[in-house]
Amino acid sequence: MEEVGMESAERIILSWDSTASDEARDRMIFEGDRSQVHRYLRAVDQIHCATTTTCGDKVNGAIQIAMARLEDEFRNILITHSAPLETDSLLDLTTLSADSSAEFDEFSVDVDASPDRVLELSEGESSSRARSSVSYKTTKSIREVDLIPAEAIDDLRSIAERMIASDYLRECVQVYGSVRKSAVDASFWNLGIEKLSIGDIQRLDWDTVEVKIRRWIRAARVCIRVLFASEKKLCEQIFYGLGTAIDDTCFMETVKGPATQLFNFVEAISISKREPEKLFKILDLHDALLDLLPDIDVVFDCKSAESVRVQAAEILSRLAEAARGILSEFENKVLREPSRVTVPGGTIHPLTRYVMNYISLISDYKQTLNELIVSKPSTGSRYSGDPTTPDMDFAELEGKSPLALHLIWTIVILLFNLDIKSKNYVDGSIVHIFMMNNIYYVVQKVKGSPGLHAMIGDDYLKKLSGKVRQAAIVYQRATWVRVLYCLRDEGLHVTGSFSSGVSKSALRERFKTFNAMFEEVHKTQATWLIPDIQLREELRISISEKLLPAYRSFLGRYKNQIESGRHPENYIKYSVDDLENAVLDFFEGHPVSQNFRRR
Amino acid sequence: MPATEYQGSFLGRISIRRNQVSSLENNQEQELEDLELFQRHISDRFADLIVPAPDDPPASPHHHHHQPNPDNVLSISWLRKLLDAFLCCEAEFKAVLIMGRDPAHVAKPPLDRLIPELMDRVVRALDLCNAITHGVDSVMQCQRLAEIAASALERRPFGEGQVKRAKRALTTLLSLMDDKENTNSSFKAAERNWSFGRRGSGAAGANKDPHMANFRCLTMSVSKNWSASKQIQAMMGNLAAPRGNEASGLAVPVYIMSSVIVFAMWALVAAIPCHERSGLSTHFPVPRQLSWAQSMIGLQERIAEDWKKKEKKGSAGLMEEMQKMEKLGTALVDFADGFQFPAEAEKEEVAAGQVCELVEVCRRLDEGLLPLQQQIREVFHRMVRSRTEILELLDQASKAAANPVA
Repeated sequence: MEEVGMESAERIILSWDSTASDEARDRMIFEGDRSQVHRYLRAVDQIHCATTTTCGDKVNGAIQIAMARLEDEFRNILITHSAPLETDSLLDLTTLSADSSAEFDEFSVDVDASPDRVLELSEGESSSRARSSVSYKTTKSIREVDLIPAEAIDDLRSIAERMIASDYLRECVQVYGSVRKSAVDASFWNLGIEKLSIGDIQRLDWDTVEVKIRRWIRAARVCIRVLFASEKKLCEQIFYGLGTAIDDTCFMETVKGPATQLFNFVEAISISKREPEKLFKILDLHDALLDLLPDIDVVFDCKSAESVRVQAAEILSRLAEAARGILSEFENKVLREPSRVTVPGGTIHPLTRYVMNYISLISDYKQTLNELIVSKPSTGSRYSGDPTTPDMDFAELEGKSPLALHLIWTIVILLFNLDIKSKNYVDGSIVHIFMMNNIYYVVQKVKGSPGLHAMIGDDYLKKLSGKVRQAAIVYQRATWVRVLYCLRDEGLHVTGSFSSGVSKSALRERFKTFNAMFEEVHKTQATWLIPDIQLREELRISISEKLLPAYRSFLGRYKNQIESGRHPENYIKYSVDDLENAVLDFFEGHPVSQNFRRR
Repeated sequence: MPATEYQGSFLGRISIRRNQVSSLENNQEQELEDLELFQRHISDRFADLIVPAPDDPPASPHHHHHQPNPDNVLSISWLRKLLDAFLCCEAEFKAVLIMGRDPAHVAKPPLDRLIPELMDRVVRALDLCNAITHGVDSVMQCQRLAEIAASALERRPFGEGQVKRAKRALTTLLSLMDDKENTNSSFKAAERNWSFGRRGSGAAGANKDPHMANFRCLTMSVSKNWSASKQIQAMMGNLAAPRGNEASGLAVPVYIMSSVIVFAMWALVAAIPCHERSGLSTHFPVPRQLSWAQSMIGLQERIAEDWKKKEKKGSAGLMEEMQKMEKLGTALVDFADGFQFPAEAEKEEVAAGQVCELVEVCRRLDEGLLPLQQQIREVFHRMVRSRTEILELLDQASKAAANPVA
């Protein structure tokens, strides 16, 4: 009975030898009817049995023919089911426009540009994160897809079993790898991950890169959680239990290339030149990769996949390094920003706006940055005598996170730089208005952002507010001391041998000087600008509180003397009300007519 | 120090002015010493890489000709030594250029031009590292096919089944090697044994072809425009030895490091199949008379010779193991073609010997390819790090120049 079985088995095997007959070449066993399939597999099994007992050339020849045939059938089944994965729905490309994040213009401080245009600031992605979870719900976690229908998997498995049993494992793995690799590649490129070299990416402008980063994040989620996970499942379905870690080997064979390709993009980004505008997108990329890491570890859990896990971890730390480097670069640029062009009117410097917007955004990203920023800023030492860097004692800021210290430090160096810039003003008084405006702007910005406020803290804010008041005081001294000096009593009374009284000429001089000075100050400082209404009014009130009573009492004391002389209108040009009105012109930011008299 | 101390080196031609401020003189002397040391070290490292050519007459009459020196130029172990040497050179270069360096020095001409050029070369080298790593993957694939054939022909006497099995694997292997230029190896492998194919046989066949056609370009991991040989060419462009008074300053180590990077990348591209190597330049723009470059130029000339001889379109790279694999594979396919059981004793003997050699080649690949990839990765990391540090140095220099403090 067995003899007959063997003979017919051999006949079946030989009849399907594609090197021997055209008919065998043109048809596939597994595409025919199932009884044909069963017959062939039974024949293979019988030949295999025979090889374990006999060791003849004929039997070995037959097994080789059978294995070669099975290899081709295997390949054919795989190729039939190698359509690329449909990923467009998963990518949900319509959300491309809604996915906004902070965009920052290049760090270029253009004083002449209108203040609002210097920075384009759209909604931070942190606030749109809640929105985005809806569209990505399919790729928030691993979701395997059946790449090949169950019947085909059964067939593949029954072939694999037999190939492996006959010691044809290598051929089986090789065939699987070569076909599935192409299929995975096709699906991979369908996700829109571009084949950019590192050199290409360095040359692209950052706006373009941001778009690509967004695409990458979306694609990577699908890639790892769906594409790679499904491939892994497929390997398990076909090869599980058939030998030691064969499914792992096959899996790595098919996805190693695309996985490396995926990470190459991120790597290229992480080594690009460090510029402040890049921080937030790089943080987005970092967070996306961090989010994917557990799934990467799950999908690539086998030993042979260690290099992939290692690469992912390496790249994550590179991104972290890049973020730190960029922050450092940002601080550097704030400190060294060299423009000497003065802001007309002593108002807010574009650097101030830029910096405050930037650190506001940093506070939005504080969750990530708190993890990444672990060291304090390196400040100047108060013993170094280095005039180019402010020094700062962090002892008084105990208990603050390193990130918070960096933000405070940023403000410190901003003000330091502004102080230097203020020296470019010709007028001595505008310096203080300028500083007052800018420091106040900082204070308002901090107060207006709860995240920022929490990090900077009330203590430091108080300090800044103190500086605002101080600037106001110094301003008043600088401008008004000499003006009010005209309204002093000393020097007006003459005691002589013939009369004691007021020197009329001195008095006239006083009035003339006062008028000239006041007109000068009025003309000039009307063009200065204090943008904040409250601050503006407060300062004006403060001026009025000193000026008006002094003038009123001066007038009261000496009006008669002037009016009893000739041309009193040359000397008493203004009433108290006139002055009061004139003060209202101050700091409005545009020139005024010199005629502010009521009468 | 008197100038006679430096006799025999290029420094002897420099006159050190004696009436300089002493600290400045010390610094300059120290720097010159460092540069001299650097050059000597580079020279030594490359001298270590020189291996007598296989066709050189043997040292002793008992030397076996077919006992290959595992460290032959462009063997895997030699490539690994090359990468080690590269890492050493790189570390020394960093020490010379960056450590304790006043940023202002690197902002002055000619460094203000030379260093950005070096950075550009580094970026290209990074891309080449990636391409070469990918190329090593293809080599691994070839290794696996070779292993199939070798293990099929383990047992003797050779049976028909074994020989056919080996032949199948070797045919795939050889067609892969033939097509290395396009790196669509997986497509080819899928197609090769499909020879009794489905062309035009029924609707099912027609449906499959579009997939197949797409596979060709999709398995390429770089854009069509990227080319290893073009990258090398760009790296060689404006690689010019410093002349005149530039020849005594930092321009020299920058030039040396640039040459080392170019050489290392060039050798790797010649050895390992990666995308678009045709047209690889065989001319190396480093002048012969530079003392430190002698060994490097010698190696380069040898490899260039090899390239011209063996590299036809679609060869599998000059890596010694691959060349051997190709030769052995071809021979064994010939044997298989003419095989009939039982084989002639002599022919079988020869074939068995070739199988032995093939096993040895596979063993060396098995041992060396993964570590080679890891080394390439290490080179990648180092270059990234150095580039970052150098860019920071450049930044500091430009900051210092623009310092607003009056």
